[in-house]
Amino acid sequence: MLNPLRLNRMLFGLYLIAVIGVTAAALFVPSWRAVSYAPLREIILPPPKPIEVSVLYSTEKEAWLTDVIARFEATNPHVEGHPIDLQIKKMGSREIYLAVLDGSEKPAIVSPASSLQISILEDLSASRFGAPIVTANDSTRCRSVLKTPLVIVAWKDRAQALWGSDPGPDLWEKLDDALTDPKGWEGYGHADWGYVKFGHTNPLKSNSGFQTILLLTYDYHHKTSGLTANDILGDSEYQKWFTAFEGTISQFGESTGTYMQDIVAYGPSTYDMVAVYEATAIEQAANAANRYGELEVFYPPATHMSDHPFCIINAEWVSPQQAEAARLFINYLTSHDAQQIALMQYGFRPVDPSVAINQTGSPFAAQKVSGLKVDLPPEVELPPGNVLNTLLDFWTRNVAR
Amino acid sequence: MKRRFLPLLALIAALILPALACSPSTIGQKTVTITILYGSEKKDWLEAAKDQYNSEQHKTADGSVIVVETTAMGSIESMNAILSGESQPTVWSPASDIYIPLANAEWRRSHSDDLVSGTPQQLVLSPVVIAMWKPMAEALGWPQKQLGWADIASLATSEKGWEDYGYPEWGTFKFGHTHPEYSNSGLVSVIAEAYAGAEKERGLSLDDLQDDKTRDLMINVEKSIIHYGASTGFFADRMFERGPSYLSAAVMYENLIVVQESKRINGQSSQLPVVAIYPKEGTFWSNHPYAILNASWVTDEQRTAAQDFLTYLRDKSQQEKALALGFRPADPAVALGFPLDTDHGVDIGQPKTVLEVPPADVINGVRDLWKQVKKPVDIVAVLDISGSMEGDKISTARSSLIDFINLLDDRDSLEVMLFSDKVDVLSPMTPLAQNRNDLTTRVSGIFEHGDTRLYDAVDQAYKDVQATGDPTHIRAVVVLTDGEDTASNTPLDAVVREIGNTSEGGNAIKVFTIAFGSDANTDVLKQIAEATGAKMYEATPETIKAIYTEIATFF
Repeated sequence: MLNPLRLNRMLFGLYLIAVIGVTAAALFVPSWRAVSYAPLREIILPPPKPIEVSVLYSTEKEAWLTDVIARFEATNPHVEGHPIDLQIKKMGSREIYLAVLDGSEKPAIVSPASSLQISILEDLSASRFGAPIVTANDSTRCRSVLKTPLVIVAWKDRAQALWGSDPGPDLWEKLDDALTDPKGWEGYGHADWGYVKFGHTNPLKSNSGFQTILLLTYDYHHKTSGLTANDILGDSEYQKWFTAFEGTISQFGESTGTYMQDIVAYGPSTYDMVAVYEATAIEQAANAANRYGELEVFYPPATHMSDHPFCIINAEWVSPQQAEAARLFINYLTSHDAQQIALMQYGFRPVDPSVAINQTGSPFAAQKVSGLKVDLPPEVELPPGNVLNTLLDFWTRNVAR
Repeated sequence: MKRRFLPLLALIAALILPALACSPSTIGQKTVTITILYGSEKKDWLEAAKDQYNSEQHKTADGSVIVVETTAMGSIESMNAILSGESQPTVWSPASDIYIPLANAEWRRSHSDDLVSGTPQQLVLSPVVIAMWKPMAEALGWPQKQLGWADIASLATSEKGWEDYGYPEWGTFKFGHTHPEYSNSGLVSVIAEAYAGAEKERGLSLDDLQDDKTRDLMINVEKSIIHYGASTGFFADRMFERGPSYLSAAVMYENLIVVQESKRINGQSSQLPVVAIYPKEGTFWSNHPYAILNASWVTDEQRTAAQDFLTYLRDKSQQEKALALGFRPADPAVALGFPLDTDHGVDIGQPKTVLEVPPADVINGVRDLWKQVKKPVDIVAVLDISGSMEGDKISTARSSLIDFINLLDDRDSLEVMLFSDKVDVLSPMTPLAQNRNDLTTRVSGIFEHGDTRLYDAVDQAYKDVQATGDPTHIRAVVVLTDGEDTASNTPLDAVVREIGNTSEGGNAIKVFTIAFGSDANTDVLKQIAEATGAKMYEATPETIKAIYTEIATFF
């Protein structure tokens, strides 16, 4: 039988070991740190190293992203006790994948405006790194967080003169006729408006410009899917038509946001209508009304959605912890709160079906811009990366100036 | 004992006092200075913004205080200064972005990269318009009838001028735009003339410039020009000071009309109201791009600092100040309103359309065409060779006059007159195509001696150009003197009365005067110049060449 004194000593010893163990664990194991006594924790040890998550994102969503990142950080997000440190950098959508491919950026997340660029990065990274570093179809690593379709935004009186309130399915043809008519607006009863001025951004620098030339090409071939490289390189009639259409554009914008700002700053004398995102048009509608008049949006017969994918890079420079932190961040972006803000304050279409697009006070319910529609025309199919590259190369050789 | 400390105290004072005299930003603070070379049209707005920014001591991320320094210069002049290496600013902000492709094309001849990459953000906007006295615009049918470049051309070719419109008392149509080789509004005026002649609104080509109808329209408009000039602001000032008899209309920026009309409404100007005509064929914007230069002399730190100042200028409070000065803010969030309204002579519903900016080679082609058809000038250059001009003065005056002669066109005519105790004609009025070389040889042989018969010389030069100059040309006298009149027979009053008393308004003979050195009587020279609508310049041997060059921009 044990001496009671020895037993007491043993029990005390075990207790002491447990206390020391728990204290040490609380101090050293990041996931336990939260339970330890904070002042003691901070005196004894420095805080655990934050997990850095670098994000390259396209400029169009800057305002929304800055807003929701502040809210995300306020939730004090952790991975295994390590706080998450988001390092964000805005770039053009094409710049993003070029920077990753040339090694000048090693992000954990890329978020161009559209899956178009993810497709291209998937295609080009396979040869550059031996295996694709993003996979557009892998929903565990790549998720769309916002949606906004490409639209034509016009000064209302000019659109009315050109095609009334509904351009119908021949929108691009009607626009092409007006653009290439040497008489310009005179043919529509407004000689004082000069020649017809349409514009889109530079497809090499900005996603909306890229989408516009993709839609033009699909429309020319009367299809909404199955675009091939031969449609671009093997059809001289298409090439003639396409370069004539593009030749009427005086200046291609650098980014959709600044292009739209210019449209509102200069007014209808300088741009009659342009192809931009629906959300961008919503953002500038009130400014336009305070300067030159009302804007109106028109949906092309088939459109393309900017789906703002956030993709976690699958490469050696992204650790499992970083990937996990990135996943938490992307989950937050698709949360109800973040989606509600995207719709109500920034005019994006939510990806969360529980956020009703037509709810009271939304830009769609309030018709913040004339012509806004909840229901969209069909979307064109996203062609494979090599077809997209062919289109960009063709534009560069024949149109860029 | 105490005296031994005095030198020490003096030494300490000598070290400390200059430091105290420095601005706070320079004491113990790291600073980064950025320099901005900008188009003078936005001077009032930019200088005020700069002063406020500097006083607020903005810092870069690493704590350096940003100091902004600015220099105003004509847009084309500033482009040439950067391309020649004479000026190395951090930021270049010309009046219009049409200079960016021109500068890049030139820069690429000796560099592998563009001078300005991408599309710089704009600071403020203002359309190029034709400023016209309201009764004159109304006589032409404005505002019901939209007017354009073609209307200006037909007015200019009419022998009777305003008589055709029922106003013989207004005389001939007198028009003005600045010099296309020095100033933005002048260059865009001649591009617009070329478009109007080619009956196009976009796609102006080199072939169009060969077409007779393009050439004819340009000749016709240029016929009515009273003189050219380097600064749009100077044109506006002269038009608004001297009234409709001096200029019927001039090409300028919308904001200058707003400023003038604000003055008139506030009782600071008693002129007739003036309105902006937005040419019906279209116009151009003056859009003040802010280009951070992609040049070896710009450091990364300066680039960041320049970006910070750009953010400041694009901020709503600065943009609202620009609106108050008559600009259209580049920030779309600033609504267009007072003072951009019809009370101030402008209409924000205009322009209705713009002309397409042609490529660099076509712009250069337009400039060449203008040189062939521009209104020629007949000038008497008057040079003081009195004894006080000895040394540096006579030698720099001689070489600057030769440079001046070389800036003139072969179709221009020149007489050179020298004065001291008598007035001599060195060479009578002759087209430069015939005697440029002979003239420069003779000018290089000039030396100084004798008294100063300034008034007699001005009087005779004026009479000479009146007698031998062609009234359909620009006619001018350019007088350089370094002292007061000491021996003339003609009194000053009589000279001023004679040169100022003319019914020709803006087409009258202009007498430009140069006060060379500190002994010249600037009051007298100013009186002489301003009596004719011209300008007096103060020059030193260091600046005389630049002054002659500036005078040459009027022709």
